[in-house]
Amino acid sequence: MKAARTCGCASERIQSNSSEFRGDRAGMNFPDDLKGKEQFDPLVVFREGLGFVPNLALAQCALPRLMAAHVKLEEAITFRDGAISRVEKERILLSIAADRRDKYCVALSGGVLASLGVPESHIDALLNDVARAGLAAPDQALLEFSLKLSRNALSVRSEDIEELRTAGIGDEAIVEAVVVTALALYRCTLSVGLGPEADFSPRELPLAGNAGADKPSRPVSATESHRRTEQRGPYVPAPYLSQNAFPPFALVQKSHGFIPNFFRTQTLRPDLLRAELDAVSLILMSEDFLTRAQKESILLAGSSANLNSYCVAVHCNLLRGLGLSADEADQIAVDHHLSNLSAADIALLDFAVKLGTRFEESARKDTAELQSFGFSQEQILEGIVVTALNSFANTLQMGLGIEPDFAPPVLFAENKLNPSSARATPMPREGVVHLVDTTLDADTELVAQAQAGNLECFEELVRRHTQLIYRALIAILGDAADAQDAMQETLLSAFKHIGGFQGRSKFSTWLVSIARNAALQRLRDRRNLESLDQNDGAEDCDFRPRQIAAWEENPEQNHSKTEMRQLVERGLLQLPAKYRIIVMLRDIEQLSTDEVARQLGLTVPAVKTRLLRGRLMLREWLAPHLTRSARGAAR
Amino acid sequence: MITCDEFFSEFADYLENQLSPEVRRELEMHLSQCRACHVLYDSSQKTIKIVSESNSFELPEKVFDPIIDRVMSKLRTERS
Repeated sequence: MKAARTCGCASERIQSNSSEFRGDRAGMNFPDDLKGKEQFDPLVVFREGLGFVPNLALAQCALPRLMAAHVKLEEAITFRDGAISRVEKERILLSIAADRRDKYCVALSGGVLASLGVPESHIDALLNDVARAGLAAPDQALLEFSLKLSRNALSVRSEDIEELRTAGIGDEAIVEAVVVTALALYRCTLSVGLGPEADFSPRELPLAGNAGADKPSRPVSATESHRRTEQRGPYVPAPYLSQNAFPPFALVQKSHGFIPNFFRTQTLRPDLLRAELDAVSLILMSEDFLTRAQKESILLAGSSANLNSYCVAVHCNLLRGLGLSADEADQIAVDHHLSNLSAADIALLDFAVKLGTRFEESARKDTAELQSFGFSQEQILEGIVVTALNSFANTLQMGLGIEPDFAPPVLFAENKLNPSSARATPMPREGVVHLVDTTLDADTELVAQAQAGNLECFEELVRRHTQLIYRALIAILGDAADAQDAMQETLLSAFKHIGGFQGRSKFSTWLVSIARNAALQRLRDRRNLESLDQNDGAEDCDFRPRQIAAWEENPEQNHSKTEMRQLVERGLLQLPAKYRIIVMLRDIEQLSTDEVARQLGLTVPAVKTRLLRGRLMLREWLAPHLTRSARGAAR
Repeated sequence: MITCDEFFSEFADYLENQLSPEVRRELEMHLSQCRACHVLYDSSQKTIKIVSESNSFELPEKVFDPIIDRVMSKLRTERS
C-alpha cells in the first residue's frame, strides 16, 4: 500500500516573482515586467476564476492571443459548476496530471482543490489511489472514464458511455467530462512544452503512478485503432443548432466552407462549443508568426501520430484548401519526412509530434534545435500551443465518437490503422511512395506492363477508361467535336508520361488529370480559359432556386430515354464548366465527393458547394420541361 | 420549426444523406410543412436520378474505336 507523501504545505501558493519569470525549459525569455499587462483581459479572467494567474498562462504572454485562447477554454470548462461540479472537474485534472507525472499540473490542480475546501487528505488519496479516495460511485466512474480516455483515447468505446449512463450520469455530464479530459491534456502539453515555474509547492507522486492504473499507453495501440474504425458514433445526441440560433456556426461555414462534425456533435453544450470556436480562431487564424499551412501541418502530423483518422481527414482537406496538393497533404499524413516540406518545417513537425505523443522525451534541447532552424521564440510558442490544441481535439473526437466528415487517405488507413502493419512512428523513408493501396486499383498490373513498354496493355487501359476521359474533356470544353479531338492528344500524352506515374493516386485519377490539362491547354490556346480552380464566391452559396412548380411524378416514364438524355446533355452544356465537371463526375461517373475533390485538386467542401449549385442550376433548366403544368401544356 | 433558409443551408448534405439523425429529423419536419421546400427537394432528387440514369455523353464505340486505333497506330509506327 502506498503512503501519502504530500508535504504539509502543499496548498501554499508560491509567490512568483514576475521579474524573475522565464519560460526556462523552453529556453524562452518573456518580458520581465508584466505590470503593464495587469489590465489585459485574460489575466483578469484568470484572477476571477482561480484567484491568481498561473505561470502556465504567463508563459504564453509573448503572444497574448494564445493566452486569451487558453483562458477562454478554462473559463468555459473549469471555472464554473456545470453538469459536473467544479471540484469534480479539478479532481479529473489532478488525476490525469498525476497519471502523466506532470508535477506542474499536479501542483496547480492540487492547490486549486485545496482552495476550494477539499481536505489535503482527500487530495493525497486521489494522487495515490483513486479507488480508495472514497468517491461516490458515479464520481468514481466518471474519473476512471476520464483516466482511460487520457491514457489511450483509442480504447474508448460506446460501451464505456453506456456504463456511465448506467451509473446515473447524464449526457451533458459525459460531454463535460470528455472536454475536461481534453483540457487536462491541453494543460499537460503546454506544461511540458513551456516548462513554467510551479505555482504551488510541489507534491510528491507515488513511484509507480496511480494505483490501479495501467501505464499510459503511448504510442497508441494499432489493434485498438483498427477496432476503433468499426465503432459508430457519435456517443451522445447532438440536437440541431442552426446558424441563425448559433451565429458562430455561420462564421465556421464561412472560414472552413462547412461545419465539421467535430463541432456539430457538441451542440448539447453550446457554451463549451463557443469557447472552443473562440480558442480555435485565436490560435489558428492569425498568420503573424506561423502560417496557417504550418499550423495545419502540425495538426495533421500530430493527429496521424495519434492514429486519429477523423482529424487526419479534416486537416488533409484544410491543407488542400490552403493550396497544398492532395498528394502532398496525404504524404504529410503518411510520413512527413517524405513530403516536400522544407527541412525547417519537417523539424517543426518532429518537435510537435514528439511533444504530443512522446512527451516524456521532450527536452529543452528540442527547442534549441528548432531555434537553430531559424524559428523565433514566438513561432516555437505557437507550435507548442497548436500541439496542445491537437491533443485537445484528438481527445475530444475520440471521447465523443465523432463521425468522419471525409475519408482519410487510403494508405494512411491501410498502413497506420491496420493492425498487421501499423506503427505510430514514421514509416520507413524507403520503399513507401504509394499514397493509395495499389491492391485496390484494378489497373496496377496493366500499368506496370504499359510502363515497361507493352502497347497492348496500354491500349487495354485506355479502353477501360474511354468514357471517363471523354466526359472529363467534354465537361471542360463543352463541345463534343472538340472533346473528341482532345481525346487523341490526351491518349498520346498519357503514353508519353506513363513512365512518370508513381502510383501516388489511382491510375484513373491520373488519367483525368492528363485529360484536364489537355482540355485547359486548348482553352488557353484560344484565350478562352474559364478557371476551374477559382475560389467559390458568395454567388455559389447564395444561389436560390426560382422554379417552384411541382414536377411530374415519374418524369422518366413520360419521356423516352433518348429524349431524356438529350435534355440532360443540353442542360449540362449550358452550365459553367466548373459546375458541369463536378456534376458529371459525381452524378454520371458516380465518383464519391472525395474522389471528385482529389481528381480536380479541390477541397471536399468546395466540391459540395459547387455540386449543389450545379445540380440546382440543372434543375432550373429541366423544370420547364418536367413540371406538371409543362406536361399539361404539352397535352 | 426551422426556417427555409436554415433548411437550405443543410440541403447539400441532406441530398447526399450525410446528416446526423437529429438534423435530418428537423429537416423532415420542415419538409412536411413547407410546400416550396418540398418541391425543391423532390425535384432535386429527380434531377439527380435523371442525370445519373441518362448515360449522357456516352461516346459510341464507332466514334472512339477509330480514335484509339489512330493513336495506337501512331505509337506503333513511332516504335518501329
